[in-house]
Amino acid sequence: MSEPRDLSSSGLVRLVAAREISTRIRDRSFIISSVVIILLIVGSIAFQVVLSSGGEKVRVGVVGDRTALQPALVAQGKAVGVDVTVVGLADEAAARSAVEDGDVDGALVDGADPTPELVVQESADASLQAVVQGAVSELSLGEQLARAGISKLDVPQVAVTPLEPDAEQNGQRIAAAIIGVSLLYGLLILFGQFIAQGVVEEKSSRVVELLLATLRPWQLLAGKIIGLGVLGLAQIVLIVVIGVGGALAFDIVDVPGDVVGTAVSVVLWFVLGFAFYASIFAVAASLVSRQEDLGTVLMPTSLLLIASLVIGLQAAGNPGGALARVTSFVPGLSPMVMPVRQAAGHVAAWEVALSAVLMLVAVALVVRLGGRVYSAALLRTSGKTKLKDAFRAERV
Amino acid sequence: MLEFDGLHKSFGDNRVLDGVGFTVAPGSMFGFCGSNGAGKTTTMRIAMGLVRPDAGRVSWQGRPLDDAVRRRIGYMPEERGLYPKMKVGEQVTYFARLHGLGAAAAARAAAEWIERLGLGERRGDAVEKLSLGNQQRVQLAAALVSRPEVLILDEPFSGLDPIGVDSLAEALLGQAREGVPVVFSSHQLDLVERLCDAVGILARGRMVATGTVEELRRREAGRLLRVVVPDAAPHWAASLTGVRVVSEQAGDTLLELDGGTDDQEVLSAALRTGRVTHFAWRQPTLVELFREAVTVSPQEVAA
Repeated sequence: MSEPRDLSSSGLVRLVAAREISTRIRDRSFIISSVVIILLIVGSIAFQVVLSSGGEKVRVGVVGDRTALQPALVAQGKAVGVDVTVVGLADEAAARSAVEDGDVDGALVDGADPTPELVVQESADASLQAVVQGAVSELSLGEQLARAGISKLDVPQVAVTPLEPDAEQNGQRIAAAIIGVSLLYGLLILFGQFIAQGVVEEKSSRVVELLLATLRPWQLLAGKIIGLGVLGLAQIVLIVVIGVGGALAFDIVDVPGDVVGTAVSVVLWFVLGFAFYASIFAVAASLVSRQEDLGTVLMPTSLLLIASLVIGLQAAGNPGGALARVTSFVPGLSPMVMPVRQAAGHVAAWEVALSAVLMLVAVALVVRLGGRVYSAALLRTSGKTKLKDAFRAERV
Repeated sequence: MLEFDGLHKSFGDNRVLDGVGFTVAPGSMFGFCGSNGAGKTTTMRIAMGLVRPDAGRVSWQGRPLDDAVRRRIGYMPEERGLYPKMKVGEQVTYFARLHGLGAAAAARAAAEWIERLGLGERRGDAVEKLSLGNQQRVQLAAALVSRPEVLILDEPFSGLDPIGVDSLAEALLGQAREGVPVVFSSHQLDLVERLCDAVGILARGRMVATGTVEELRRREAGRLLRVVVPDAAPHWAASLTGVRVVSEQAGDTLLELDGGTDDQEVLSAALRTGRVTHFAWRQPTLVELFREAVTVSPQEVAA
């Protein structure tokens, strides 16, 4: 047997983190929640695909020569927002059977004649009729004009001047930010709960005394936060890759660059937000010794998290507003608000940097003060410890 | 040597330890006795760095205990604790790794101890599915798996059935034979008497007695003589000089001899009364020693 060696702090933290990951990854509630989130993302992509492909589709059969009719039909379709497919048919009999079989929505017989006929199953729907009517009229009009000796008609073109040329792109970016922020909220709550439950489990099972005989409290705390943080990060990256990848693959977004940028900022804000909330959740959980008491001590932090989600969503509607501006710098709120402002594009680089620095300072503070509470409260395995007592208590 | 030296500890106004000190030699078993609340657990927690002493220190081989040294100590807390949902094998491996074993060595040592403690078939089960006795064995495996240089066990025998007591005692004796100093606390004094090379009795935060059971016997009740003389008349010993009759019942007499009194003269006096069926220095049990030691003497109360 090899002799035991002394362990470095980082080695111990790694051991704790590895245990957290391997335990959690096999935990049923973790697996279920992951599957549900991924199904939700895949489902909403599928929904978007169906929705965006929901534009009307019309298949028109044309009997005989369709060299002139086909472009005219497609052009008409485009004008009224209908996706037209033209199918060539041999004769009227073929046209009738194609309509009866449902191969085409309608078949145009004698399209170039003065008496064209549209064969349909029961009745022609408005857009089909409009497309066919428009195409036939246009061709006929062209022919009559040509016969009258007019070859080129000078029709004025209407120029379009959009007042908000970026509105649609912004809309997509903000939508991505809203989805991102909601995801952020969901994962922060989920992993915050995991951390809190883990801390209480160690206290209620009293295993913490055995752990603290070999570990410093901060090593235990750091290992838990890093372990679950890596897991949470892996999950959010996976979700973002599936979501953004799906959105790009199915052409749901018009400006891939912006959506990717928003996704990256959401992931980075997750890291900061997780460090902040996970530490608070862990410290709060260390004050109680039973899972039943967890709700009460986690309440204030959960409320803060909910408030930040609400403000984040509000900011999506009014990213330049005073509320969004101010809260995007408030540690704890900023991870939910700043990504939205960034997505809306109304924010300078120094603002993002300042907000991130403030958040880092807050994390350092929470870890420092919270670490004191955590180490003092861990061995008080009976009942609830008051925050005040934990601050005063000696630390080992 | 494992040395506990002048430990003082108060929690608020409550003085728990008031100069506790004792020494445990490598390869010896030290039984730590005391009433509830005497300070045994606090003493052990100080050794493990879970409580900070107001004064005093614990050292191993002349070196005060620090994190690195403590990693070489096997510890069993009074409040047993394991991860309830973690599998037996993984759990013991995890504790081995926390004590500094590499991944492969930890897995090997865990498998070996689980097998040795008769839990081989339960290796893949979650700890919460095991009976309390078996959980206790896992706890012991967690304490022993890293081949500790020192063992500190708080009430290791509590909650075990007689078979469990025997197998734990066997395991601890095995450790001691390999040169590991073993400190354990227990209320089962017969067990302490049977297993331990040395005993420490803690009362009101002080060591009131330390030494081998033999030493304690000599010190505490070395002058008590039991003489059984069935044919003797009552008060047969009353006239002997330097002898006080503690109790007398149908010839079964308990005598306390002054320092200079010759026990052979007492024997001659007894023989003069007729048959002597029993004549021996009385061996007080550890229970009696314990009672003697922890009872508050009148002087102490006055002080």
